Formats: sequence, C-alpha cells, structure tokens
Amino acid sequence: MATEIQEIDLKTDEMIINMGPQHPATHGVLRLLLTLDGETVKHVEPVLGHLHRAQEWQGQNRTWFQYQALIDRVDYLSGMFTSWAMARACEQLDGVTVPERAEYLRVIVSEMNRITSHLLWLGTYLIDLGAMFGFPFYPFREREKLFDLLEEIAGQRMMFNYIRIGGVLRDPKPAWFDKLKAFLDEFPDRIDEYEAIVTQNPIFLKRTKGVGILKQSVATDYGVTGPCLRSSGIAMDLRRTRPYSIYPDIKFDVITFDKEGDTWDRYMARILEMRQCVDIIRQCVEKIPTGDIMGKKQMAGMRVKAGEGFAAVESPRGVLGCYVVSGGGEKAVRFRWRNPSFCNLTILPELLKGCPLSDIMAIFGSIDIILPDVDR
Amino acid sequence: MSNTNPVVPEELRETVTLSSLDLMIDALGQVLSPVLSPIANLARSNSVWPLTFGTSCCAIEMMSVGMSAFDISRFGSEVFRATPRQADMILTAGTITRKMAPALITLYEQMPEPKYVIAMGACTVTGGMFNDSYSVVQGVDRIIPVDVYLPGCPPRPEGILDALLKLQQKIRTENYGDRRKKMYAQTSVRKVDYDTGRCLEDLLGVVKEDTTAALAKAPDTTT
Amino acid sequence: MTDEAKPEETKSDAKPEEVKPEAKAEAPKAEAKSTDSAPAEAAKPADTAKPAEAAAKPAAPAAAAPAKAAAPAKPAEPAKPPEPLEPAKFGQFLKEHGIASERQPDSCGVETIVIAGDQLEKTMRLLRNSSEIKLDLLLTVTGIDSADTFDSVYHLWSYSHLEQLVIKVLLKKADVAEGDLPTVPSLSNFWSAANWHERETYDLVGIRYTSHPYLRRILNPWDWEGHPLRRDYKQLVDALNDKNPHSMR
Repeated sequence: MATEIQEIDLKTDEMIINMGPQHPATHGVLRLLLTLDGETVKHVEPVLGHLHRAQEWQGQNRTWFQYQALIDRVDYLSGMFTSWAMARACEQLDGVTVPERAEYLRVIVSEMNRITSHLLWLGTYLIDLGAMFGFPFYPFREREKLFDLLEEIAGQRMMFNYIRIGGVLRDPKPAWFDKLKAFLDEFPDRIDEYEAIVTQNPIFLKRTKGVGILKQSVATDYGVTGPCLRSSGIAMDLRRTRPYSIYPDIKFDVITFDKEGDTWDRYMARILEMRQCVDIIRQCVEKIPTGDIMGKKQMAGMRVKAGEGFAAVESPRGVLGCYVVSGGGEKAVRFRWRNPSFCNLTILPELLKGCPLSDIMAIFGSIDIILPDVDR
Repeated sequence: MSNTNPVVPEELRETVTLSSLDLMIDALGQVLSPVLSPIANLARSNSVWPLTFGTSCCAIEMMSVGMSAFDISRFGSEVFRATPRQADMILTAGTITRKMAPALITLYEQMPEPKYVIAMGACTVTGGMFNDSYSVVQGVDRIIPVDVYLPGCPPRPEGILDALLKLQQKIRTENYGDRRKKMYAQTSVRKVDYDTGRCLEDLLGVVKEDTTAALAKAPDTTT
Repeated sequence: MTDEAKPEETKSDAKPEEVKPEAKAEAPKAEAKSTDSAPAEAAKPADTAKPAEAAAKPAAPAAAAPAKAAAPAKPAEPAKPPEPLEPAKFGQFLKEHGIASERQPDSCGVETIVIAGDQLEKTMRLLRNSSEIKLDLLLTVTGIDSADTFDSVYHLWSYSHLEQLVIKVLLKKADVAEGDLPTVPSLSNFWSAANWHERETYDLVGIRYTSHPYLRRILNPWDWEGHPLRRDYKQLVDALNDKNPHSMR
C-alpha cells in the first residue's frame, strides 16, 4: 500500500541577497541585488558605479594629446577599439585622411585585440561556470603570445596607446609580420583544442543550452549590439552594415544565427568570430601597402576643429561609439562614450527573471561585459 | 605600554577583559618569540594566499600572473581565495572609487591576522592617472594600511612577482608581536559611508556642526 | 508654420572661441514655430529682423559654423545671424506629422534637429514605429552643459537600414529656477534602452527626466551631492582625495 504524499503549502518569503561587488565571477566590481524566492530569481537590480572613474570628466579636463593615452582604460580588454572610436570621431571633425597603411595596421592590431578579448572571455566564462582555474590556462597561453606581438608594436601589453588621431604610432619591422603569420598558422588548432574541451562537454551543454534566450524584440528594445544581438538573429555588424576603414575590401561574413539565441549560441558566436579574425588578419597582412602611417602631427598642443560628431567601431562586445563635442580649443567640450557593455547589461534583469540561481552566472557571463566599460 | 600587557586601544578598554590565561599565553609568546618567529615567518612567507580582488585593469595582469606563463604558485601563492576569511593578502588590483571604498574596508577587516596588503598599480598607490577625479580614492593607503607599493599601469606580471618577493622578505624579517601591537594603533584606517562615499569622520563632523548650530539657534527654554 | 520674424539675436560674436558648438546650436535662426510650443532653444535677445524666407536659401552644409562665415564679412555691424537651414528628410517627415523642429548644422554629415521637450515623446514614437522610417536603435542619451543651455542629445540609428539622426532638446538655463533641475519627459516607459542612459544623465549633468520609473543615481553613490559634469561643479575635497602636502604633485 503506497503511503499518501501530503503536499504542504509552505509559506515562503523572498530574500534579498547581495552578490558582489567583490565576487570572483562578476568580472570586475558589479553589485547585483537579487530578490530570490527560494532559488528562483524574482528580480535583479544591478548596482553600478563601483568603478566610476570619471573618464568623461577627464575628457573635458585633459588636452587632446593627453586624453588619447588615457582612454585605453575605458575598455581595457579592447583598448585598441576605444582609441579607434575616438580617433575616428576626431578625424571626422578635423577632416584628416588616414593613410592606407595605417588603416591596415589598425585593422590588424584591432582584430588581434578582438582575439585576446574573446580568449579572456572564454577563460573567465569557464571559471564562472565552475571549471575553476583549470581551463583558463589554455586561452591565456595564446594571449601571452599575442601580447608579445602587441608589445613589440605598441610598447605595452595592455594599454596600447597605439591608434592615434590621424594614424598609428609605430611601423612594425618585417619580422613582426612573420611572427604574426606563424601565430596565425597555429592558432586555429588551438581553437580546436578549446572546442574539444568545451563545446560538446555535457556539463557545459546542460548549463548553457536553453538558458537565457534573448528574444529579438527585447534585444532591439534595449539597444543590444554585438555577438549577443547576432546570436539572436539580427545581422548587424558595423564592419559590414556601416563599413568603415578598409573593411569593405576584406572578405568575411557576418556571423549570425537564425533563431533566437541562448547562452550556448552566444558562446558559439564568439568562437566563430575568433576563427574569422584569423582570416581577416591574414587578408590584411597580404594586402597591406607601403606608405605613411600618420596623417596628423602628434604634438602636445594638438587641437581638433570645432564641431560635433559621433563615430563607432565594432568592438568585441558591440558597438562602441564616441560622441565628441569640440570647441576648437585645447580640450574637448564634451566626450561621451557609448559603451556596449553599459547597454548590453540592461537586458540582465529581463533575462534573469524566473531563472534558478545557478543560471545567473551562465547568463551574466555570456553577455560579456567589462566593468570599466559600464561605469567609465 | 608595559611589557606584560598587550596594548588595548582606548575605545575598547571597557569591552576587552584579558583573563590571566590570556596574559600567560602572551607572556609565553614573548619568551618563545626569538625561536618561533623565524620558523613561523618562513612558513608564513612561503604561502601567502591572495584574495581575488580585481577591480579593473590590473586584475587582468593579476590573472596573467596566476596563469602558466608567469605562474605565481611557484612562489607559494598557490590559490587565490574568493573569501577574505581564508586569504592572507589583498593585492588591490584596480582603482578604488569612493563607492567601492567601504567594500574594500569591509573585506580588509574580514581578513584574519596576519594579513598583508600589496597596493598594485598606480591607481592604488597614489590615485594614478585619476589624480584629480572626483570619485577616485587617491591611493588605497588612505583607507587600509599598505605593506608594499607596486607602481605601474598596469605593472607587468614580473613586477607583481617582484612585489610578492619583497613582501615575503618583509614577512621573514618581521617581529609578529610588534605587528600585533601596531595593529591596534593604526591611524590610516578610515571608515567610508556606503551611501555617500565620504569619510565617516567627516560626516560625523558635519553632523556635530549642524547640531551645535541648531542648538545655538534654539530658543532657550531652561530659564 | 507661420513665417513670423521672431525677435531673437545671436550672440555669435560674443564669445567666439568658447561657444563654437553652442553658437552653432543657437545661431540657426528662429524657425517660425507652430502655435503649440516653441522649442526651447538657446534663446538670446532679439535678432535683427530678418524675414524668414530662409527656406528659399539653400541649407548651409555641415562643419563650418555659419556664424563664422557671417562675422568676418561685416565686422562693423553685429554679425548677420546665419541662415536658417532648410529641413532635411527627417525634419520634413516630422513636419508632415505636425511636429515642429529646427535644423542645426549637421554633426559630421548626420542630420541634427532640435525638438521641444513636450514633443519629444511623440517624435520618438513616430520615428521608431513608422514603417518608412524605422530608427529603432537608440544609441545614447547624452547630457551636455553648454554655456546657456542644458542639452539632452539623442543619437538614433537603425537596425535595418543606414539612416542616422541626432535629436536635441535644448533647455534654457534661464528657465530653470534656482535649486531646480531642468526637466525633459522620459522615454523609458516605451523605450527601455533610454532607462539607464537617462539615469546617468541625471546623475552626471542633472537633467530630470519626468515620469522615469526609477530616477536614481547610477554611477555615483546614491546620496552624492552635485552633478559632476556641470561647468560649475565644485569637487568635494576630503580625506580621501586631498592632496598630501608632501606629495610631489
């Protein structure tokens, strides 16, 4: 005789739990105020500003030449892109033509930076999901090789200060290109190595398949851009849709998925983007012309003509835009950064509604945000 | 400050009662210290476990130093602990803003003794490139006591290892009893309010001023 | 849209260096306004009466400030206010739907229009939902503290086509009472992208967005005083950021 199972209606209450600002998985200092009902998330309020360093205020209080060096820190994983956005905005105002060799070099180093950013994302994402410190040793090995190359050309491992208004800073020696080609030859095998560990891993699949589905209507409402958007089916990649620099001459496809993406799709989009970067860099290295690398004299008192303009680049996280208002003086009147992480983070409360506690990190990590980009 | 009693600060004097057992253990420690200290210090210096405290760019270099190319674990920092209760050292990697300051102070206070701080990167040493910014604390030594200052923006992973080695040397040559006494007498620790990001002393000063002003204006009802 | 010469004067000569962008912002002539509201543009004292058949004149193109061109021409008299610009594609579209807008010099080739604060919501809904113009990516909401206005600037792109638009709402500082904040209606109720951007603008520049669901400081601590990106912001100096007299700086 089976015993009857009595269901008791337990009265539960909601808990408000604080996650962060110091947390191994919050990718910096982000505080999440979670309202939980048991283990289900009812509401999430991200509290930002723990890394608000007043970089827009700095834009108004540093000269143009000084500020170029400081903006690598706005998004330190993709410092080249921030410099590029500022350079594009100021070049538009000034009417400066960037020499073609400089454009090719910009694309090469930026795509290398995209690879390093995605590699770091991959490493830290696996830490978030619980692979602890085992997995990131692999992507960081490749990052070190890329850092050596970038250090040779830019002088610094992370805060490059390489892309300037009017061109690039330094011309690499021919040996640099050989080393770069050697790296590009071995890198696709490395990506295969990562994929062998992660992509069909049953634990990874269980944690990311079907989790955090981002609907297209939600994405467009919140202004999402970047791999998050493309993995949800909307093909918007600035390099193809509003091409800039020499991207029209480079053959590559926009990686878009055709259904509304979950976390696994966002992961896959970034892996495919890494492979695509290898292709892009190869094409650039073949086609790069000789010539000048700087179109505007870099000097301490340099100025940008009066006006206002907005320019954007496609950074690893999305559309990174720079809105600059210049008065023709030695300092800008207003600098406003349109950061992809700030805009993509707004979908977090939406995506986390009704999720179990363990999905928070899976979803949050897959949006790929970086805190100084959010807080400036 | 007699030799037999440990130094108890003024504010705590009413709450702390030292039993005779405490006094005995303390005295014993004082006696054995010349022998035990070097051994303890050697052991302690070779296993300094950092806290995963990465605020901004320096955190990436901290990650790089933990990875296989620069490998901090060969110097004893095998694991980075996520919780301050199990960590020995804070490597403040990244800018500390006023909003983050109370969290850092809480973390520092949650760490058990002996604890050490390496101020990593220009932002935490003196405020760095944000030296006139309205929201950045100009150097983390304004809120927690620092043992080793490591400049750089960001310092190379080899720089972090150098700082760690200097810290290890400092630990090996320190007298732990003196350090405990100094712990009570720290003057560089400032409390920061969570909501406004301002020093608590300043806020209390403002409140006191307001109260005195209000009382001065209040009609005198005693006569 | 009646063609009345609204008495407005430009101060384009007054502070040439400093107010270049503002000069461009305010300089474009008073477009005759429809009766419901006048856009809160940088209102300056009366302008020399200029018949506003500027629509006949071709629109002055982007970068060079029209004020600059006018000033050297006649040094003796006050500078001729620059020609009002003919409404371009989006301005025309809005005019057809009954929203008055004023065109400013293009920001690097992108059409820039000024809208009155109370028309803003209607404009945004129109631009986003109309099928022929689908500007559905709100990139950013910026606040700027110009010389005599607070500007709330909206950059619009589209996910599906290549159009761009910049919309500005100019709030005269003279209109704002002492201790109050300039107000703009919020877009967050129907366009979620604006939510955090408006909070940030409120935090840093101090423009209050009415009917915003949660207008609380987002980047600075919640009880922070002052709006840091304003021109008259005095930084708080206390033990956490005072300059050490022994420091070398």
